[in-house]
Amino acid sequence: MLDRPLAPPPVEVIVAVTQALHREARLLDNEDFEGWLAMLGKDVSYRLELKSRRFRADRSPPLPFGPGVIFNEDLGRLKMRVDRLKSGFVWAEDPPNYIRRAVSNVEVLATQPDNEVRVHSVLVMHRNRIDGTTRLLTAARTDLWRGEGQAWLLAARDIVLDHSVLPDSNLNAFF
Amino acid sequence: MNDNIADLVDSRTGRQSRSIYASEDIYRQELERIFGRCWLFLVHTSQIPKPGDYFRTFMGEDDVIVIRQKDGSIKAFLNSCTHRGNRVCRADRGNARAFTCNYHGWSFSPDGALSGVPLENEAYFGELDRAKFGLIPVPKVAEYKGLVFGCWDANSPSLDDYLGDVKFFLDVWLDAMPGGSALLGETQKMVLGTNWKLPVENVCGDGYHLGWAHAGAMAAVQSMDLTGLSVGNSGVDLDGGLSVAGMNGHMVLSALDGVSGYAFYPDPKPILEYLEANRQTVIDRLGEVRGRQVWGAQVNITIFPNLQLLPGLNWFRVYHPKGPGQIEQWTWAMAENDMPEAVKAQILENQCLTFGLAGLFDNDDGDNLTACTEQSRGWRTAQMDVYTNMALGRSGKREGFPGDIAAGLVSEHNQRYFYRRWQEHMMAETWAEVPTYNINSLTEQEAEHA
Repeated sequence: MLDRPLAPPPVEVIVAVTQALHREARLLDNEDFEGWLAMLGKDVSYRLELKSRRFRADRSPPLPFGPGVIFNEDLGRLKMRVDRLKSGFVWAEDPPNYIRRAVSNVEVLATQPDNEVRVHSVLVMHRNRIDGTTRLLTAARTDLWRGEGQAWLLAARDIVLDHSVLPDSNLNAFF
Repeated sequence: MNDNIADLVDSRTGRQSRSIYASEDIYRQELERIFGRCWLFLVHTSQIPKPGDYFRTFMGEDDVIVIRQKDGSIKAFLNSCTHRGNRVCRADRGNARAFTCNYHGWSFSPDGALSGVPLENEAYFGELDRAKFGLIPVPKVAEYKGLVFGCWDANSPSLDDYLGDVKFFLDVWLDAMPGGSALLGETQKMVLGTNWKLPVENVCGDGYHLGWAHAGAMAAVQSMDLTGLSVGNSGVDLDGGLSVAGMNGHMVLSALDGVSGYAFYPDPKPILEYLEANRQTVIDRLGEVRGRQVWGAQVNITIFPNLQLLPGLNWFRVYHPKGPGQIEQWTWAMAENDMPEAVKAQILENQCLTFGLAGLFDNDDGDNLTACTEQSRGWRTAQMDVYTNMALGRSGKREGFPGDIAAGLVSEHNQRYFYRRWQEHMMAETWAEVPTYNINSLTEQEAEHA
């Protein structure tokens, strides 16, 4: 795959997709989960794999069943997580926590078919929870966004979390 | 040393002083008398299958490297250069022919020997006795059916005696099927602001919190009954499970239905098919009680002090202490090697979904345990007590099982034994002063025909 196509996607597409990333972050910050789910394609794949710190020269083979995941969700599973968060039983989220997402380093790349684009971005998530515990999580995301009708929908997201030890007591949050 | 340990815990009334979750002095004593003395889990043999394979872990706060040797045996060493003390390995795992220190380039072979010293002749004038500067070995390393443990204390009992009767329950995972067991996936690591004892007591005996703390998760994924435990703790069936303790400080919670381990799988069908297809094999190997009632049921096994494994939910976890108010919690998925590939993949998947870093259940516990720790740090709260006094005095022998047993998964019987063991170790100056007990031990014949 050519990573730097000579012709970038039309500027209207770049603006629309970038705006979709910002809108998505705002909906999640505001706990508008239904609004967020409506931005996802029916076949969405949402993944965050585990990893380990290994020497560059290490040649041990991949693990038999893969590294395992933090998220490996389809639309049904994401809805299940949202249902849990909205159940009224998730005490860790009540009172609501302060969560703010900043989206940056956005690259929108042309791909085939024409109504899809590959999107790289960086997410910085600031969480201020309980009595003021603050955690800053950063992640890289590689997405596939698809133009369907009048909207751009998220079709796939691969997340890379930049922490070998999760510095927080839960991940009741989407990247 | 604290000479008031006797006052800090009372197992008869289920009382604990909150200072045991907050005091720096008590924590230093735990590092010596518990983590410096007990057999501690190091690695599962499946994690380092080949010579040169290594895995980094902790014994208390001591960083160790566990390495598969050329002859297939397993050794463990302090991950600290014998020259100036730097770490010699900064990776989590891998395969290596040597471990070379970043500071001055001293190099150690997988058997711990000092194999290379830059400028050895030019600057040390050939006078360095390499034999005295090998990596410091963990003096005792032993395996029980795939689980490798290490121990610093030359006077400890053997691993076999240390485990005692909890092997009756360990075998339900390790030896139910002829192919044995394995851990799956990378290590799932999380920092929690809790004292290390609180997550151990949570899983060793606290079925009480399940229907309340995890109500949201239960509503999301529960597909089968688990001893009548329900969302919002509105009901419980105490006949459906056992709280087993009195086994050298090890504890077990077990449902008795042979299937409820998979109650928190949205789709348990493939695993239930595996269980039923192999039920008779397991009955032949472990007897009726374990084969029919325990294998496949939800079972929480705690190996004192900091290892917990839950056949069924299939997570395997170690808590590494990082001061009185912090731990690193390390989790893996666990499987039987005889399981079909698709079932193993499903287990890894479901373990990550329920008790992974974004686990639906796991994400409920962290804040509770952290707050229990923080609320013990106040000037006033540090002087106060907390209690595990549910169902006091309601335990005894159960036909077919070892241990001192209370009915049901909702009881605080096991927690009392956990703190009793903690106190026994903390008061003892040497292993010789630590009592050994396996209450209601089964004879070999009883165990075979159980």
